[in-house]
Amino acid sequence: MSAATLQSPAARPGTSPLVTALFRAVRGLATLLAVLAAVEGLVVVLNVKPWYVPRPTLVLNAILATPEPYVQGFLRTLTETLMGFTSGAIFGVGIAIVFFRARVLRELIFPVFVVSQTIPVIAFGALVVLWFGNTLIAKAAISFYLTFFPVTVNALLGLESVDPRQEALMRSFGASRFQLLTRLQLPAALPQIFVALRLASALSLVGAIVGEWFGDTVGLGVLLLQGMYNENVVAIWAAIAMCALLGTGFYAVVAAAERALVFWGAEQ
Amino acid sequence: MSAPKSSRALQRGALGMVLLVVAWEGVARGFNLPAYTLPSVSAILGSIFDHRSTLFLAGAYTFAEALSGYVIGALIGIGLAVVITLIPMTRNAIVPVATSINSVPVVAWSPLILLWFGIGMPSKVVMVALAVSFTVFLSALAGLDRVDRRSVDLMRSFGAGRLAILFRLRLPTALPLIAAGLRVSTVRAVIVAIVTEMLGAYDGLGWVIYQAVLQVDFVKVWSAIFIASAASLAFFGLVGLAERRLVFWK
Amino acid sequence: MIPRRTFLSTLAAGAALLSTAVGALPALAADPVPATLRLKWLPQAQFAGFYVAVAKGYYKAEGIDLTINPGGPNILAENLVATGADTFGLSGGLDSVFAARDKGLPVVCVGISHQMTPFVFVARADGPIKTLQDFKGKKVTTWFTGANHVLKAMLTKNGIDPALVDIQPQQVSVTPFVDGQVDVITATRYNEYYTIKTRMGEEKLRTFVAEDSGITFPRDTLIVSETTAKEKPELVKAFLRASIKGWKDAFSDPKGAVDTIMKAAPTLDRAHQEFQLAEAAKLMTAGTVKQNGLFWIDMDAVKITQQLFLDAKVISKPVDLDATFNRSFLEAIPVADRRP
Repeated sequence: MSAATLQSPAARPGTSPLVTALFRAVRGLATLLAVLAAVEGLVVVLNVKPWYVPRPTLVLNAILATPEPYVQGFLRTLTETLMGFTSGAIFGVGIAIVFFRARVLRELIFPVFVVSQTIPVIAFGALVVLWFGNTLIAKAAISFYLTFFPVTVNALLGLESVDPRQEALMRSFGASRFQLLTRLQLPAALPQIFVALRLASALSLVGAIVGEWFGDTVGLGVLLLQGMYNENVVAIWAAIAMCALLGTGFYAVVAAAERALVFWGAEQ
Repeated sequence: MSAPKSSRALQRGALGMVLLVVAWEGVARGFNLPAYTLPSVSAILGSIFDHRSTLFLAGAYTFAEALSGYVIGALIGIGLAVVITLIPMTRNAIVPVATSINSVPVVAWSPLILLWFGIGMPSKVVMVALAVSFTVFLSALAGLDRVDRRSVDLMRSFGAGRLAILFRLRLPTALPLIAAGLRVSTVRAVIVAIVTEMLGAYDGLGWVIYQAVLQVDFVKVWSAIFIASAASLAFFGLVGLAERRLVFWK
Repeated sequence: MIPRRTFLSTLAAGAALLSTAVGALPALAADPVPATLRLKWLPQAQFAGFYVAVAKGYYKAEGIDLTINPGGPNILAENLVATGADTFGLSGGLDSVFAARDKGLPVVCVGISHQMTPFVFVARADGPIKTLQDFKGKKVTTWFTGANHVLKAMLTKNGIDPALVDIQPQQVSVTPFVDGQVDVITATRYNEYYTIKTRMGEEKLRTFVAEDSGITFPRDTLIVSETTAKEKPELVKAFLRASIKGWKDAFSDPKGAVDTIMKAAPTLDRAHQEFQLAEAAKLMTAGTVKQNGLFWIDMDAVKITQQLFLDAKVISKPVDLDATFNRSFLEAIPVADRRP
């Protein structure tokens, strides 16, 4: 068996990245549709009660009946997610560089970070409202809080994985610390950072949604909560579907950025 | 890592924590903050002592849920990544489905999971497994993919099968990343167990927190949080320790 | 800490502004003062009157620019009102007010919305449970957040030892009852009961009401902080006047009120919301409200509930009822205007 047949089609050399991306998207969509059709069929055939699993078409109808809150909720949650993700990613990488450079700070602060991550934010709904009010910032702050830590951990891991010989080589050519960082260490850490960013894309969404549980009027989290409380399983699934759409889309964007950037990183 | 260096790291870590605690105590006392804004650390520690048996039992319950879910989730995550590596054609089926399931916040699944698995321990174990499996899966997959293609070709040219390549080459290479995923997941496991308990349970730390909020007992909320934190940290430390041994082996 | 401190100082400035504005100007001020109402949960017909009053400008007419902030899991209105983050709160009920006072939170109850226990215990009409006596040895699920104390008190009053009843925590879902795994379930009249009724049919259900056993557990309390009560009595009165007007409109035009709610939360089920409003109306006009008007604080009911919580050791000692409940703001409004 040749090596080429073992590779996934996406990795086959000679195909343009755009075609590959399209291929992946179509493939994913087809899988999704097949799964949905299967669920629809199973629910009808097995006569599953709608309060366990509703038919996917029922869920779709619910969204189409009142599209406005779903669209608004999607956009609002997206904004919060992006705010939290961006700030979390920047802070995460930034603090990783600081920790990497200053071991004292790392040893002093890292444990505090670890401890901070062990606190379930949901227990402090009232505190979040007290500190940040009913603003977008409050949601973004929770999103940030969930996002930055994995990024810090992985970025640090990536920075430390740099081959000391390469570092010595660059130093011998008179590279400055900044050059060392931008030319060698960060590119080397990029694959690790992106693993964390992909995780963070999901976590930042969790943060935004949980944040909306602390008394908000618009957002996917609000829709989820409303469905949950009214035991409206169709509404829960409709909200879950919107979350999935947002999450998958965001994840795909991050993954695409990874392919573009890490590919370049590997070329270095 | 040499022994004196790691003991220095420990000292500094402890110092950082002490500084935080001192600052906290100072702020809470100095500004005379009411308990519902921020209770002092000493008040929280006192409350932990007062409620020690309740908190200990609740903590053990939550930890049991988190640990069971964690083990199941980790096995599923690593298992799926291995399956994808062995049978590449499954990648395009598994990755999108796993991604879509994960893109829905775990908490959003909770009403359905509670509906399907009831209000007891199983629903929490499922939720934790759900949360952990994807994190581990993603790390494991990235690790398994990280292998140098030339090494694979080299091993193959010597007639090594896929399984041999997996155990001799891919898994050892992937280990640091898998370990990192496992480490990050420990904390998530405990948090997800607590969050699910707060939405529907009648035991565990989440339930204690929920009850305490209703009774406006914020010091007790913080006590439960402290116990949760300690449990997470112990869990994190344990996995970290295991990781260090395994990565040594590499 | 910084955001909080700036927030608090803004709040203080706002409060200062507010008190001068209310003090110096007549009710029909040109610039309404901002205020917030924190609900116990998300927008739904249970709170219709407040939304109607906002939509029809009743608060504006009283000089209040009211923002309604929804609640959520683990948000306690008492906490937010006590700290001044919100001006008014429609909080959990007497249970949360007692708990808050017991823990020293400076909140004052200025009105009670639901005059009677808003939940019932539901069994199957064709099942073996005909009376409370039949609860013995049966599986009963309830919420362990107050409803359990009501249930135990009902059983005790009827000479049944609660230990003989298999009382279990209730799931988030009514499905175990619908599927027959549970003999008796707890249901709010406006929510779970609707779900059970739609799935099983109302004629299949038998309900047990706390009031039949001399127990009562009023819920949905209107609260303000002690500071607001002391320094801005006019604001509280104005808020109550507008709220009562909004609720009376909601009762006389339920369709329009549900329209207003559906505008705030379009994904809600309209039929359910109409049912919810009708049930809310029954709960709000029960007891002595016909004579004393909406939001009346019936001190007899309050004492019954306090005893319930003292017996269950939920609160450590009796609270100062005079400091906790203040009817003076309601009494400042002519009773004819308050009657539904």
